[in-house]
Amino acid sequence: MGEVIVITSGKGGVGKTTTTANVGTGLAKLDKKVVLIDTDIGLRNLDVVMGLENRIVYNLVDVIEGTCRIKQALIKDKRYPNLYLLPSAQTKDKTAVTPEQMKKLSDELRDEFDYILMDCPAGIEQGFQNAIAGADRALVITTPEVSAVRDADRIIGLLEAHEIKNSHLIVNRLRTDMVKRGDMMSSDDVVEILAIDLIGVVPDDENIVISTNQGEPLVGNDTMAGKAYMNICHRLLGEDVPYLDLNLKKGFFSKLFNKN
Amino acid sequence: MDNPVIIKGNKHGITVFLDPKVDFETLKKYVAEKFRDSSKFLGDAPVVLGFEGRPLLPDHESQLIKVINENCNLKIVMIDDRDTARGERYKKQLEEVLMEIDRAQGSFYKGNLRSGQEVFFENSVVILGDVNPGALVISKGNVIVLGALKGQVAAGAYENENAFVFAIDMSPVQMQIAGVRARSADEPAKDEEKGMKLAFIEDGRICLEPLSKRIWNDIRL
Repeated sequence: MGEVIVITSGKGGVGKTTTTANVGTGLAKLDKKVVLIDTDIGLRNLDVVMGLENRIVYNLVDVIEGTCRIKQALIKDKRYPNLYLLPSAQTKDKTAVTPEQMKKLSDELRDEFDYILMDCPAGIEQGFQNAIAGADRALVITTPEVSAVRDADRIIGLLEAHEIKNSHLIVNRLRTDMVKRGDMMSSDDVVEILAIDLIGVVPDDENIVISTNQGEPLVGNDTMAGKAYMNICHRLLGEDVPYLDLNLKKGFFSKLFNKN
Repeated sequence: MDNPVIIKGNKHGITVFLDPKVDFETLKKYVAEKFRDSSKFLGDAPVVLGFEGRPLLPDHESQLIKVINENCNLKIVMIDDRDTARGERYKKQLEEVLMEIDRAQGSFYKGNLRSGQEVFFENSVVILGDVNPGALVISKGNVIVLGALKGQVAAGAYENENAFVFAIDMSPVQMQIAGVRARSADEPAKDEEKGMKLAFIEDGRICLEPLSKRIWNDIRL
């Protein structure tokens, strides 16, 4: 029986889609059967981040409206045979789907998959309601900024109101150098405000931009962000993994030229 | 014989009933008068024309058509020469003829088509702008993009295998011609692969080729 996880944040641009792509790919790397569902109808981009845009024939709305069967709309990933994507529709809007229909869809997918990841749109309107409808647990993404934390707090409240108790926090785009200078909240500060369990801290890493542009999730590779995402996957599976030391290791030359 | 000529119209055509007892020259005068009187009412729509009531010599038929053309603005696109002509058949014949005309004709679309926009054209289309990823152009005829084609296009929808797609920068995410589908390569295109290309169907597959004399010779509208 598969588990439905919604990845949500409230605020836009904090890394929901990046996290969905990387956590999904990471779980597939750990031999789980995973399907990613892009619930951002009208502004789809999980397919682009996954590098699968050119394979889209049918989409989520086609499945809901009965234009095609679920199997026809699922796109098999080009790297991992046990990873699938259900893309969103680009020419419709959020009202094309109802929370009840989304719940039914995720329940149908439970038999076939170990994990069903819902990439939630920004905001708290119908798109959010659709994304959380069938969810068993949630990953709440925030960046260490007051506005993002404020929105995350609102989201956690809404999740609790919808009886989704199993929520975990991911602090994304953390910059250790700024935290040290006292210019940015630390992950501990964020956890203290939001009072939910932390499941991962992802450093601000330019490799994310490169990976997104290339449509190749970086989870599990040698970058800091790649390692951080892999750790999140292990923790999702219930393993106890120590947190990364996010202090950037300086190379010989930068030590030489940048003494302070 | 108070009414030797009766005009009956349906949605797609006009049937002219001719009294078999009246001689042809008189009939011709009546036809001219009838059509002149109802010219305003009939308008300038394209129609299929049929004659009923009496057999006509080919020469007589063309004389009558000439008279009708002179006295009203209707565009007679077809003559129905069977006596039992009626609505459905008119409609089908008219559509066939109009489609033949449409296929060779086209329209212009000015502007960039952006993500989430979907446009449908009954005939060929020339797009003066770019088609961005996430946009979809569907045409029953050909699609010519005087800009970059980076989105999705379906030409010859859905069975016109002669349809082609042309773009100044041909790099679509996906393409369909007459229901045959192709997708872009996963690797980003190299510079030498970019540029002006024509896409068409050959042996059931979509081919992309730079323009050449041979390509133009093979194109059928």
